[in-house]
Amino acid sequence: MANQVALVNEALMQQLATVWAVFQGLLLEAIPFLLIGVAISSVAMAWDPRGKWLQKLPQGALTGPLSGALLGFALPACECGNVPVARRMIAVGAPLGTALGFLFAAPVLNPVVLLSTWAAFPDKPWLLLLRPAGSVLIALLLSGLLQLLCESDLLNGELLAERNLSQPLAKFSLLERRSGLIGEPLPQIKLLNEANKNGDFQPIQLLSHGVNEFLELGSLLLLGCGLAALIQTLIPRDLFLLLGQAPTLSIISAMLLALVVSVCSSVDAFLALGFAEQITPGALLAFLLLGPVIDLKSVSLLSKVFTWPALALVLAGVCLTVLVLGQALNLVLL
Amino acid sequence: MPNSVGAGASAQPGVVVKQLPYLVLGLWGVVLLKCWADGRLNLLLHSNFHSLVLATGVIFLLLASAGLRWPPSGPSRRNYLPMAVLSLSGIALMLWPPKPSLSTLAANRSSAQLGDSELSFLSPPEQRSLSDWVRLLNSQPDPQLYAGNPVQVSGFVLAVPGAPPEIARLLVRCCLADATPVGLAVRWPPKQQWPTPDRWLQINGVMAVESHQGVLRAVLVARKIKPIKAPARPLEP
Repeated sequence: MANQVALVNEALMQQLATVWAVFQGLLLEAIPFLLIGVAISSVAMAWDPRGKWLQKLPQGALTGPLSGALLGFALPACECGNVPVARRMIAVGAPLGTALGFLFAAPVLNPVVLLSTWAAFPDKPWLLLLRPAGSVLIALLLSGLLQLLCESDLLNGELLAERNLSQPLAKFSLLERRSGLIGEPLPQIKLLNEANKNGDFQPIQLLSHGVNEFLELGSLLLLGCGLAALIQTLIPRDLFLLLGQAPTLSIISAMLLALVVSVCSSVDAFLALGFAEQITPGALLAFLLLGPVIDLKSVSLLSKVFTWPALALVLAGVCLTVLVLGQALNLVLL
Repeated sequence: MPNSVGAGASAQPGVVVKQLPYLVLGLWGVVLLKCWADGRLNLLLHSNFHSLVLATGVIFLLLASAGLRWPPSGPSRRNYLPMAVLSLSGIALMLWPPKPSLSTLAANRSSAQLGDSELSFLSPPEQRSLSDWVRLLNSQPDPQLYAGNPVQVSGFVLAVPGAPPEIARLLVRCCLADATPVGLAVRWPPKQQWPTPDRWLQINGVMAVESHQGVLRAVLVARKIKPIKAPARPLEP
């Protein structure tokens, strides 16, 4: 009996030590990309503090998300780096469709990810075409779906308040703007007001903004990495893959795996290479489409952009779209 | 004079609050540099990312120094909870380096599918690494091709439920989260206990053919087994 308890204890300690190591791996890999994202966001703030230029990005239902998606070629960051940039776009009043298109499609529509997909699957040219195309389609659909909500139901409270400040005076009351004329202003708005007195931001103000944004997002990233490490170490990965050799089940299992494994979009194709032969083509596409939009690691970061109900809608919308795309591909190729 | 002392005392907490974010950032700069210097990145990340972690650590330290040297005059945001979470986790990272059970990690994951076998065929059998052998066996699965070939490989002991343990390595493309095992079946010397999982061994032997669940497969017949220290770079690209 004592022996059995000792064995169970030893196994548990090994599991915990492995969770701790996987957590460190995920976190240390993601932190540089988060820094890149926060740096781009701070540069955007310095360059265009009131969003004069970003507000001029295309606003159309199609052109907005498409132009946002194409911005990925200019700012090749994975999903961790994307969130602060998309937040900045939304905060300064850029068209919502453009910012959402960037948030959802840019993690795939960038040269690094496309090259890694080609390097991992040179024998599957259809994947090089369908991955970016599917990603754009997801961005269009999600942008359209989310814009059906009013901004107060869609956006995280702090982000919404900052965005309201960039809107025309006639659109919001002073209370709604939380600019400090009535009630306590938001810290970001205090910072913007400070910049206004001096004309532009001083470098040290930008540094302060960037550091605070990094601390907020970094702590959320940490929680996401912890959750992803815990689940993927304790639940056998084969369980996700064995669920389905059948067309639909294989897609669902690959989607679950993408949510749990939480690797960066620039290397997920290499990971998929390891099990590509075990799953259907639709499941492979589903794995490569879903992870860059949402996973356990990024869900906490996305909570700084969306309200929780809106985040649930993002999850449901992307899962449904990816499932349909995967099914369609299986119908054609199987 | 009392007035100036009073003013200094009341200003002090404000300065500290403004400096806290930079102290946390500096702490993380130190954490990243320590992770780079103590070699743990070899166990956690693909080598492509090592310089990125180093650069991030240096940038954090530079930014923290700038923030401490010239604290902003404007308002400060009070991110106490994020700062506490990041500080505690940074300290934990420094105090507890990763010691994963590679066998536990590998047991939860399916074996990697490997390509690029041509180079492995060109090299003499005794110079092939474990992953070279697995590449060969994946691309040319006929075990008769390798019967009698001399083998010298090193890896960790991977427990296999209901079968003798294998000798294995982990392949990593990004970080430990995507590590997948590659393993060789081993026929361990008779009358000896199987080695415990996670031990690193160098095995000299020959390839042979055996029937496993009704299918012929290549197996490494171990002749000489030497315990070795875990290599500095235990993960293979």
